[in-house]
This record gives sequence, structure tokens and C-alpha cells, in this order.
Amino acid sequence: MLPPELNGGFSMHELSLAHDMTRIIGSALGRKVHLDRVNITIGPLSGISAESLRFCFTEVARIEGFGEPDLVINLTKAKLICLDCDIEYEAKDFYQGCPDCGSISRRILSGREFTVDSVELEEGND
Amino acid sequence: MCDEVTEQKVDITTSVMSKNDRFAEDNRELLSGKGIYTLNLISSPGAGKTTVLESMARFFGPRMAVIEGDIQTRRDAERIEKAGCQAWQIETGGACHLDAHAVNHALGHMNLDPDALELLAIENVGNLICPSGYDLGEDMRIGLLSVPEGDDKILKYPSLFSSINVLVINKMDLIPHLDFDVDRAIEECRSLNPDVLVFTVSAKTGEGMEEFCDFVESSFSTTA
Repeated sequence: MLPPELNGGFSMHELSLAHDMTRIIGSALGRKVHLDRVNITIGPLSGISAESLRFCFTEVARIEGFGEPDLVINLTKAKLICLDCDIEYEAKDFYQGCPDCGSISRRILSGREFTVDSVELEEGND
Repeated sequence: MCDEVTEQKVDITTSVMSKNDRFAEDNRELLSGKGIYTLNLISSPGAGKTTVLESMARFFGPRMAVIEGDIQTRRDAERIEKAGCQAWQIETGGACHLDAHAVNHALGHMNLDPDALELLAIENVGNLICPSGYDLGEDMRIGLLSVPEGDDKILKYPSLFSSINVLVINKMDLIPHLDFDVDRAIEECRSLNPDVLVFTVSAKTGEGMEEFCDFVESSFSTTA
């Protein structure tokens, strides 16, 4: 059971996502064990605040019996294609225009990903 | 899911949205199997989602059903029922968005008679951030922005406005009183989202609603 500040009154989608992460980890491991590290990947266009997620995940992991793992976030770059000059480029957020012509008219190729990549178990848990 | 176990490190490589996305595919399959076209309507609180849907309910009548997502109360579902459509209320009890599982559950309670129903509109929880990452199984995602919110909101909430198929600018009757630059809003939305279609309406006066409803109707007539 979550403390009240993480239940009713505290609603952001990072909290739901933190619960989804522990569900995925629990089902992959088949048990609840204390973890050293959790490695995840977040795309810059996923709409996820890395710091909010870290805050929520730290609490949810502890409460659900996964100890106090470090959350290691691999922030990727988005891949975009400029609709004015056709070049493909990388961006760290929605606001970065084409490095060639400066246009912000583009199509998104990737950047919304959000995956749990791996976990590292605490000594003595393997 | 657990591919490789070394001494300490366990590979997982699973998309966090995979469970939601599976339910979204189930919803899409169920609804398209019955020939029902589905809309996901997203906006901030007070932009006029329910008023737009009331206006659509008068246009489509019993051919449309509505799922209402709110933190609390059945108020919106009651408004839709009064306007002439079947409505199911999801009370999220604090959650800031609908997910595909909640919609799947709601579908189980609704009368989805394929002979009567052609259109399902899902009104998401009023929020420009959290709903954007959750596919509900919709055919068309609509972002609703109202004139009093300001023309600068599109670039402030890019994860939503880059993911919509249609932008509806509502409360156009207030344009004479406010500094909302419609061209700027449309141009900024197109920069994020080159394929977006735009409608300007006032659900209160009815301005533009018939064109919008005709467009929705043509979308499901061509896919049916």
C-alpha cells in the first residue's frame, strides 16, 4: 500500500509508469529481490520527466520490495527528418530545428521509446 | 521476457507501454470488428470537450456512444445522456489519464450493437500531458484547444500536439475579446505535426460544428 502522498493526492503519469516498471521487473525475475541498479531508456519525445520518474520509482521500488536501486537513465536522441531540406537529424527535444536550414517543420522517426533494459541484483541475491 | 541471466545482471528489454499497447490492440480489434470508429478526445480541463461532444451527440444521435473519463463524478456522462447518446463514465479516482485497460473494461459494460453504433468517442481526463503517451485503441486522436487558453500552448505541450490527427480550436466566439492568433496556433501545430487537420469551432454557438461532424462522419464512412 502506498502512503497517501503517493496515492490519491499525487497524480502524474510517472507514478503509473513506475508501477508498470516494477510489474515488468517482477514478472521478468519471477520474484521480488533487492536490486542494485535498474537500467532504462527514455526517448526525449516520450513526454516523461526523468526526474519525476526517478522520484516515483525510488518510492514504488522500495515499497514493493525491490530495495533502493539506482535508476540509471539512458536518454536517447530523437531522429527527425526535415520536411524542407529532407535531411535526417538528431535532436534532444521537440524544439531543436534542422541543423542545416533551421526549419522546425519535420516528421518524427523515433524518440518516444521507454524501455526497462536490465536490472542488477544486490550481492547474495543471484 | 527474461532472456539472459548472468551472475548479477538480468536483461529485460521490455517496453513499459507494452501492456497498455496490447489492450489498445484488443480494443481496436473489438471495435473495428463491429464497424465502430473510435475517437480519443484530449484537452486541458475546461476547454469544452463535453460541450463539443454534446453538440456531436445532437448530430449523430444514437449512432454515437461516449466513454467519459474523469477523476470523479458522473456529471459528464449525464450531460451526454441528456443530449441523446449512450454514455459510460470511468471515474479514475485520481489518475490523470485513461489507459487502454480502463477503456477495455468500460467496453465490457457497454451495449456495442454494431447495427446501431457507428462511432465511439472517448473523452480523456482533462490534461495536456499524461494522456498523450497512452494509445487507447482509437482510430483518430483529436486535440482540443480553446481560445482562452492562449495560442502559445501548442509548443508548450509538444508531446500531445505532435501525436494528434486533428486539432480542433474551440470557443471561436471569444476571438473578438482575446488575443488568440489562430494562424500562429495552426502554424506551430503543423511544425510539430505536418499532417494535422484543423477545424475552428464554437461548440456553444454551433459555429463550425456541422463541418466538423461531417468530417468525422466521412472518416468512418470511408473506412467502413
